[in-house]
Formats: sequence, structure tokens, C-alpha cells
Amino acid sequence: MEARPHILIVDDSADVTGALRVLFEETGNDVSVANTIRDAVAVADARTIDVMLLDLTLPDGDGLSVLATMRARATEPRVTAALTGRAEPEIAARCTAAGCRAVLVKPVPIAELLRRVREWTV
Amino acid sequence: MHPVDSTTTAEHRVLQLEEALNEAAQINAELQSRDALKTQFLANISHDLRTPLTAIITHAEILRDGILGPLSEKQRDSVASIIGGGRQLLEAVGEILTYARGAANQLTVSPSEFHIAAVVAQVAALNEPLVVKKGLSISVDATPDVPSLVADREQVTHVVSNLLGNAIAFTPSGGRVWVAVTTRSERGTTQVQVEVGDTGIGIAPEHHDLVFREFAQVDPSPSRRHHGTGLGLTIARRLVELNGGRIWLESQLGEGSRFYFTLPVGDPR
Repeated sequence: MEARPHILIVDDSADVTGALRVLFEETGNDVSVANTIRDAVAVADARTIDVMLLDLTLPDGDGLSVLATMRARATEPRVTAALTGRAEPEIAARCTAAGCRAVLVKPVPIAELLRRVREWTV
Repeated sequence: MHPVDSTTTAEHRVLQLEEALNEAAQINAELQSRDALKTQFLANISHDLRTPLTAIITHAEILRDGILGPLSEKQRDSVASIIGGGRQLLEAVGEILTYARGAANQLTVSPSEFHIAAVVAQVAALNEPLVVKKGLSISVDATPDVPSLVADREQVTHVVSNLLGNAIAFTPSGGRVWVAVTTRSERGTTQVQVEVGDTGIGIAPEHHDLVFREFAQVDPSPSRRHHGTGLGLTIARRLVELNGGRIWLESQLGEGSRFYFTLPVGDPR
């Protein structure tokens, strides 16, 4: 990939997005942050997203619905990974069915997070 | 007594009993709804604690890995302690959530076929650094002819992890912890039996029941040496039972502990 990968972090906690923004900016990525489904869709409208890290519970609805909305607008990210607080099999199955490449349980050790995102952006 | 009178008395009694039953049903419904509220509260609290913990741990890992610049050894040690404390807290929060869901019968079993030896090896490997740090030795004995299980692998992993974590926590330096997997026959069915043992401080027989009770600590004093939610073994018992097995211990004070659990070979449902 010639340009810096563009990563969108969708999470309603400013503490979480703040930490992930530092992590990915300092390791050579362009980072956008959205706290709501609406903002996430707007970011995708403006610029292609390489990797979206998606929280499941957002103030304006189910995080996974972002994927269907983006698909309908042809702005779906190359790779989406769900970031969730819970690891139940039924949640993982729902994420996979919605089109997530991976389901990561917060807090993901940063070494693992960086490794995954690098794999997805080469 | 006149027959009419006795009928009237009987009818009156039936009415009284019906009223009492209705009242009991109402109280029961109210208790259930309060219990559901409590569970929801615990689930919400757990979520609200996890979010800032996620931020704390991620920021600390960014510092530890030198992403914002190199740290001195002392700084790295200090940051490593923040991460260690954060992960410990996260585990406690997870336990509270699992307990709440168990208490509300919201824990479901997702069975799959697997070898218990693989789970034991995985948990032992994860605990290896802690074993070394505490100056203990660990041995794993899983005979290769143990049949595969059909159970919830994640839940069984949780149980092994909890028992081994306790064994390590309650065994002083120089001691030994072990995990042994065997098969046994119980009431005409084949069971896989897992033993997690240690040469640690042990538990007096009068406290054997207590350790499986929720929020119970054998030493509840604020100065106690071993901390935790007091839910680990309660959850372990619930998870073992959900998967069709049973759990018990053999121990004497000062003579180490051996925890055992069994799981039936075959589908638990």
C-alpha cells in the first residue's frame, strides 16, 4: 500500500478512542475517530477506509448496522474488526455474519492489535 | 357439625389458601424482577468498569512498548505494574459479570468436541511465567488415551484456569503444583477427571463447603494475604455443573489441596 493506511476507530468512549488513536498514529497510520454510527458513515463517505475497528454498542444503535449502511453506499471498509467487551459465542457469530473479519475482545493487547492491522493493510 | 357448615368452612379455607398462593406468587414475581434488576446493574457496572480499564491498559502498553519513546528500566517496571494491576482488575470485573449471569440463569453452554489435555496444556503454558516467578514447579500428566469431551471449551478452560491460578496463588515458593487428567467410571458412565493439586497452605475440612459458596473467603479479614472476588470457585462449580460434571476437593490445613472435577464423555445436554 503506497499511502499510509487509513484506520477508522468507532467507539463511544473518548478514553478508548484516544488510546487507540495514539497507538495507530504513532505506528504509521492515518486515524479517524467516530463516536456514533452517523459519524462513522460520514467518515467513510469522505475517504476510503482500510481498517475499521468497530464497537458494538453505540449511542445511536447497534454498531454492526454500520456495515450494512456502508455497504449500501459502497463505502464499506476493506476490513472490519469488531471490538467488544464480551466474548460470548453468540456475539462472535453475529459479528461474523455481519461481515467482520475478526472479533477482538477489549482490551486487545496492543502487540496483537498492531500485528492484525499490519496483516490487513499490506 | 352440620354438613352445610362444614362445606362453608372448607370453601372458606380454600379461598384463604388461594389468596395466600396469589400473594406468594406476587412476592415471588417481585423478587424475581428485583433479582433481574440486580443482575442488570452488575452487568452495566461491569461494562462501565471495563471501558476505562481498556483505556488505562492500552495507554500503559503503548508506554511500555516504547511507542512514545524509550523508557528507563524503572519506568518500564512501573508501567508493567499498572498493566498487571489493570489486568487483575479486569479479571475481577469479568468474574462478577459471569457470576451475575450465572445467578440469573443466563449462562448457556456451547458444546464442541475437544481434548481436555489440549486445554490443560494451554492453561499450564499461560501460567508458566507466574510459576517461574513464584519459584514453584509445575507438572502436567494427561494420559493420551483419555477420550475427547463434548462440552463448552471456553467454560472448561475457565475452570482449569481458575483452579490452577488458585493453586499457584496459595502455594509458597519452593512448592509444587500439578494437573493430572484421568478417566473414571461413575454410575455406569465414563467420566474424564481433572485433578489440580498443590503443596500449598491447604484448607481445613470444616471450610471445604465454604470455598464453593459465593463471596466467601476462608480468611475474610481485611489483612488477608490472598485477594479476589470470592467468586472464582462458585463460578467454577456452576460451570462444571452446567457441563454435566461435579467438583470437589481434598485438603488438610498445611498439607496442600487437591481439587477435582469430572465431566461426562459425550454430549452434556
